[in-house]
Amino acid sequence: MEEKYLICEDSLEGIFTGIYDAYALREGHEHVHIQVGEEENLRLFATYLHILPDSVKTDKVANTLRARLGEHAYYSICRAAASCYPDKGEAVYRTVVDALTAGSGSRVMDNLRNPHVARCFELARFTANEAHFETEFLRFQELAGTETMKDSVLFSRIGPKNNVIPFIMPHFADRLSVENFMVYDENRKLFGVHPAREEWYLVTAGETFVLQNPVWSEKEEVYQELFRAFHQTIGIKSRENKKLQRQMCAYRYQDYMVEFAQKG
Amino acid sequence: MDIRIAPQMSIMDKLKILGDAAKYDVSCSSSGSSRKNDGQGIGNTVAAGLCHSFAADGRCISLLKILFTNECIYDCRYCVNRRSNDVPRASFTPDEVCELTMEFYRRNYIEGLFLSSGILCSPNYTMELICETVHRLRTLHRFQGYIHVKAIPGADPLLIQRLGYLADRMSVNLEMATAEGLRAIAPNKHRKNILKPMRQIQNGITENKNELTLYKHAPHFCEAGQSTQMVIGALPESDYQIMSVAENLYDKFSLKRVYYSAFVNVNEDRDLPAPAGGPPLLREHRLYQADWLLRFYDFKVNELLTEDRPNFNTAIDPKADWAVRHLECFPVEINRADYHLLLRIPGVGVKSARRIVAARRFGSLTFEDLKKIGVVLKRALYFITCNGRMMYPTKLEEQYIVRNLTYQNQMGRGERLPFMTDGTTYRQMSLFDMAGFDDMQRVASI
Repeated sequence: MEEKYLICEDSLEGIFTGIYDAYALREGHEHVHIQVGEEENLRLFATYLHILPDSVKTDKVANTLRARLGEHAYYSICRAAASCYPDKGEAVYRTVVDALTAGSGSRVMDNLRNPHVARCFELARFTANEAHFETEFLRFQELAGTETMKDSVLFSRIGPKNNVIPFIMPHFADRLSVENFMVYDENRKLFGVHPAREEWYLVTAGETFVLQNPVWSEKEEVYQELFRAFHQTIGIKSRENKKLQRQMCAYRYQDYMVEFAQKG
Repeated sequence: MDIRIAPQMSIMDKLKILGDAAKYDVSCSSSGSSRKNDGQGIGNTVAAGLCHSFAADGRCISLLKILFTNECIYDCRYCVNRRSNDVPRASFTPDEVCELTMEFYRRNYIEGLFLSSGILCSPNYTMELICETVHRLRTLHRFQGYIHVKAIPGADPLLIQRLGYLADRMSVNLEMATAEGLRAIAPNKHRKNILKPMRQIQNGITENKNELTLYKHAPHFCEAGQSTQMVIGALPESDYQIMSVAENLYDKFSLKRVYYSAFVNVNEDRDLPAPAGGPPLLREHRLYQADWLLRFYDFKVNELLTEDRPNFNTAIDPKADWAVRHLECFPVEINRADYHLLLRIPGVGVKSARRIVAARRFGSLTFEDLKKIGVVLKRALYFITCNGRMMYPTKLEEQYIVRNLTYQNQMGRGERLPFMTDGTTYRQMSLFDMAGFDDMQRVASI
């Protein structure tokens, strides 16, 4: 039988819509595949269908997954869908099939014998780990007040491989509930915005957006200096171990941290 | 009476002095406490804890770890802040500590505050200052992040009680594994005084748990439990002694963590050892490995060490060491063995063991599956079978397995130690780690 490739947008919405349409084809799952982004090497004897993200279909899929798989497995699937690897579409799709059609249900993420589930698990773990590191390593800097915005605003710039902002915002929104803050993902040009005492939301800045050099508040440099000094004193000379330091906190995070030499 | 040469000191100078003075305290975890923000101030706590940075020695920086003051009336031989040392002295004011904590916290530099102190005037006086600081931080600034404070031995039980309701974790350092050791090295400290607040905190936590079952909104007392620390390698205690003490602390004092701190001879005290290869890091590492075995792998100290074999093998880790001496338990069939037996296989950790138990419900596992699950096959392969087969034909023989495991080490492909990889340092360390004859003599003369 002819293979069918559903080409979806690189987002949670895109992938979930793809899954909805794959089920809607009613052709079984053996010959249906989901591909994220653009078609790469075109195959002979294969049909390519372009799927446009659809919020109604997305909601239906999300609700079904939440109800049938439970929060835990559902969030694993969401994390896998936020991964930076292009094979995530197929991994997520096959995992959903394993859960709903093959019947592993809420225990699907335990079924590591299935290579697609194992891949989905791996992708989800990578995103979860990176999100965890970003909650630890991202640094806020205080912006100088302006005419219109007198209250203090904290700003943070990160460069994660996976799309982690949706997973780290709830943590900071709880922790810094009384602060205005923003997290900016420069690889995706995506903002997570939290006005003090309100709900957080996402803002997409668009392809052409360039971040202007922010103006920091007067006190900002003082506290950065203090922290740099603390960071330096707390290390024990006779135990120095740069390799371990790098292992625990990779250079790609260090580039964004005030206590290490910063990216220009 | 109150004479200070440099009364006006900038907050930067104080931070440098008091951060430097606090760095030999090992504990920096921010785990064990889980609290949501109440919408009134900043901060929450995360059960697993977060490490916000890593210092040049590779240790995590989770909390703003400082001393309130490094002035001290005691004269402990191992301590850099002892009375007889000529070092710059400084003291924070409660407001300075609050300001630093709040500003660092909102920038996501730290997870909270770790406040310890030298003994200024008397234990009570010092404890009151700490109490005042933490109280201000919690009420005036409405700080809801993590706070770890030292309970100072000899302070009034009421003060400790009060502090317990403000802090997430409290700790009292045991310093030395044996009472004799402590007497020799810290003339002003007594083991009885150290164990007393420890017991008080333990009882406080137990009572608080009962309260919380009755009244959901009762205030928490040391939600994240208590910890302690022992100095390793200053005196010739054996690993067996140290681990037995640790086991006792976990069982009888319900401690959350015991930390081991490789001795650094900061004072160049001639009666204390000054290891040529640096602090005994390998020994410290082995103790931590064994500590994990006690807490998460259901091991008992008596299984790992005995009176006749009082020290850990430096060449292989404690778990592999146990396994090669108990080959009658192996090979273990991955698809059948129960969880506790899986945990005993070298190369299988808590996570992999759980995943194995969950995954094998769907069908039997192969070596390929184990790899995906996260089992370290190059270590596990000597001890396991999948569906009755071993991965390669190997001998179930102590010498053979040890040779293979350590051969991998020499090739740099085996056990991943958190420090040094070249053989030379490794050898130097292991020489020192065997509680040396040399050190014995030195201490005997104390």
